[in-house]
Amino acid sequence: MPIRVLPTLLVNQIAAGEVIERPASVVKELVDNSLDAGAGRIDVTVEDGGRQLIRVSDDGSGIPEEELSLALEPHATSKLRHPDELASIGTMGFRGEALASIASVSRLRLTSRATVDGAVRESGASIESAGGETGLVTPTACSPGSVVEVRELFFNTPARRKFLRAGPTEVGHISDVLQRIAIAHPHVAFSLSHNGRVTFEFAPTDSPRLRCVDVLGKEVDEALLEFESRQPWGGVWGLAGLPSIGRATAKFQYLCINGRPIRDRNLAHAIREAYRGLLAPDLQPVVVVFIRVDPHAVDVNVHPAKTEVRLREPGQLHGLVLSAIRQRLLGSDLTPSVALNGKSWRPPVGAEDPSAPAPAPVTAHDFVEYFKRMDPTQKGFVYQQVREQMNDAPLLERVGDGQPGNGFSGPPAPVTAAVTNQVLQVHQSYVVTQDDEGLVIIDQHALHERVMFEQLRKRILSEGKPLESQRLLVPEVLHLNPARMALLDDLAALLERIGIEVSVIGPGAVGVQAFPTFLFDRHVEPGEFIEGLLDKAQEGAFDVKQAANDESALHEVLDMMACKAAVKAGDKLSGEELSALLTQREEVERSASCPHGRPTTIRLTLRDLEKHFKRS
Amino acid sequence: MKAICDRTALVESLNLVAGVVVARTPKPVLTCVKLTAEGSLLTLAATDLEVYLRVNTPRIEISEEGGALILADKLSQIVRESVDPTLTLESEGDATHIRGQDSHFKVFGYPLGEFPAPPEFDGNADFEVSAGSLTQQVLQTVFASARENSRYAMNGVLVEREGNKLNLVATDGHRLAVSRGDCKAAKGDSRTAIIPTKALTLLSRLLNDPDQTVKVKIADNQAMFVTDNAMLSTKLVEGNFPPYKDVIPRDNDKKATLDTQVLTSAVRRAALLTNEESKGVRFAFKDQSLNLSSRAPEMGEAQIEVPMPKYQGDAVEIGFNPAYVLDALKVVDANEVQIDLKAPNKPGILRTGNHFVYVVMPVNLQ
Repeated sequence: MPIRVLPTLLVNQIAAGEVIERPASVVKELVDNSLDAGAGRIDVTVEDGGRQLIRVSDDGSGIPEEELSLALEPHATSKLRHPDELASIGTMGFRGEALASIASVSRLRLTSRATVDGAVRESGASIESAGGETGLVTPTACSPGSVVEVRELFFNTPARRKFLRAGPTEVGHISDVLQRIAIAHPHVAFSLSHNGRVTFEFAPTDSPRLRCVDVLGKEVDEALLEFESRQPWGGVWGLAGLPSIGRATAKFQYLCINGRPIRDRNLAHAIREAYRGLLAPDLQPVVVVFIRVDPHAVDVNVHPAKTEVRLREPGQLHGLVLSAIRQRLLGSDLTPSVALNGKSWRPPVGAEDPSAPAPAPVTAHDFVEYFKRMDPTQKGFVYQQVREQMNDAPLLERVGDGQPGNGFSGPPAPVTAAVTNQVLQVHQSYVVTQDDEGLVIIDQHALHERVMFEQLRKRILSEGKPLESQRLLVPEVLHLNPARMALLDDLAALLERIGIEVSVIGPGAVGVQAFPTFLFDRHVEPGEFIEGLLDKAQEGAFDVKQAANDESALHEVLDMMACKAAVKAGDKLSGEELSALLTQREEVERSASCPHGRPTTIRLTLRDLEKHFKRS
Repeated sequence: MKAICDRTALVESLNLVAGVVVARTPKPVLTCVKLTAEGSLLTLAATDLEVYLRVNTPRIEISEEGGALILADKLSQIVRESVDPTLTLESEGDATHIRGQDSHFKVFGYPLGEFPAPPEFDGNADFEVSAGSLTQQVLQTVFASARENSRYAMNGVLVEREGNKLNLVATDGHRLAVSRGDCKAAKGDSRTAIIPTKALTLLSRLLNDPDQTVKVKIADNQAMFVTDNAMLSTKLVEGNFPPYKDVIPRDNDKKATLDTQVLTSAVRRAALLTNEESKGVRFAFKDQSLNLSSRAPEMGEAQIEVPMPKYQGDAVEIGFNPAYVLDALKVVDANEVQIDLKAPNKPGILRTGNHFVYVVMPVNLQ
């Protein structure tokens, strides 16, 4: 076949293949245009998941009649003029491809009434296009701004059309895209309607937090911690969701750079690291991060869809996001409040993604479930015991003077000395006590595990010394297959850091020469421990090759140590042990969750108790 | 059975057998004491199926031979709470009547036949040993045995007889205690056996008279210790004891001699500033003095100087778990102890001559 220059329609359709993947991408491109036009209100109307109709109308500056036909041409834009501007893009779009691409794969109608130099044109005009065949500009009556109607998307590209999913799925994607944009632009009003019904509507606001709450649902308002870090070159602001509202997917992480919603693996990693050990491994945090940087420091021209960007200083931003979130979380009381009805947070209407896996149940609710299953007498007995235990303590008074009611904004509420004596161990597994907020229930194993973990970690990291170890009279011999031998060799440096000395003493046999003293005290057997560690390494719980200097490997090992050394569920604890544990709870960081991320502590608030005793 | 007993003597005997009685068991007869009146002897027996213990109660008068099974804790409580100088025990079927001046208890028991039969002590003893010497050897070793080690052999004490020499050895993998002594009337080949720590502890409590003679017999899976007024038999611990002779270093060339009491006091004080994660005490040996130091993060530090006029060898610093050192110092029967060392990561030896040798593994200090 001879080489030929492709016809414009084909070029546009190919370009559309990159940008216009599904109805949601159309919405994104059109809403980006509306934002660039300075719109204060953007309404999106969708029919049949966007197959039949996508309409985006705004009250922005519009397009003058004489430029309408040019607007549908490829590589035509008002947003860029000079190559230098490409290095500091301040608008959402800049490629001049979106409208042309959409027009080439749909029946498109663009109606606009422009505002030029502050004056609204007397009348509007419209232009239609079907599969890239552009019609004539005709005068049309309309209000100031632009309306883009896209009908029968992919009508001329059957392959793409075939890949469209069912209506609800596509609307889910549209809703997600629009919400991401809405979070980034709180001062703009947004609405989405599907098949004539309003899915959501966000009023314009000056507060980014209010907009986030609009999108995420007001139930989570109390569970969002605001964080901020200002830098000479910009800064980071955001909301960090408490571990208790962790979700099964990373969908509820909103990342914006200079008002542009993006995805970035580097920053996603920073978020995950910030929550390390605070959240169960199968959960993802709910987080909003706004980053402001000099436009020169970020390159948007990476992919036509512009969801990925290149950062000039990725490491710097990673560190900033990580420390801003982590510090906020460490300085907060992360104890989840549980409602007795056991309701957990569900995303608001329209945000459901049917393809997302079902959210894992929040562990904190298990106790409540257990409590609910008790028969009434038993329940009453527990309540009574708790009450009796607490009777001697000064009556709890809600501190009204300026202390925030939700209790999430301050450091962990201290359990006062008078209260510390009022501790009840139930079923030799849970510790029940009280604080200023209400009834506190602690999983003794999880909390002790966290306490030991933090102590060990501090010992190794801040002092930079291996743990104290006891040498063995006769080495404990382990027989390992060659794969595990090799693995153990890779782990040698890590083991040394934690005070375990292992040497090869024969073919397929190693001897443990020294083992941490405190593990011996807690009856942890060296052989069993090392076999367990090798199992973890083989499962890929951490990167063995990087084990010597990687914090995640150390985390994993210390976690194992802490877990084995901690008191178990079923261990009877003496009064002194209980109060020591509660004291340590206040001393260590991240005491609200065990190193696996499960909660150590749950709280039944007084408000909730009162409600259930019908005292309100 | 009918016997009049001296209450104080009965309390003492009951205390001895109570150490064997099982508190909770699906086999109720194991919670009982077996009383046997025969000739002029009243014996109390108890077993947990591992250990069988039988003691003779002194100062009794038997008017009718026979036996009874009675709940151990009830009998103990009744005898202890009573105030009479003597009590009368009389069996009637499975029940036992206990009568004092103003009291009468009837306690139901179990048929005598349900109680496990005592192991037979056939033939002569393998060797004899004086109670005082055996007690000392037990005392010097049991503390070093393991408690719940998966290597079961270490949960007991190795008893090793070679000719007229008797060695007891115990280890928990971190330290090893060897106590060497003599025995007499030894017959047959050399023998070793691993005796459960619990049985030896019970045995040492039986041997209140140091001049008594203890006859010992070791069979395939049983060991038996017999005195004039008691018999203890125990099952042996199965498994291989670590090769202890290989563990005792021979080339420790740095030798210190220290006053037992002075060293004990110094180690106890140094141990005050240790904690769970940092429990090692640094022993810095140099000419003329031993410096002990400890440090617990966030708590503080301690320094103690111990005069050490007799020291041979180069200076050396080594870390030890103070509890291990104190355990040994507690059972030393001499005014001076020798400490032999090689290097900071090699085993240290604490000994009094060759009778008591204690190998202790160092702690890696930072």
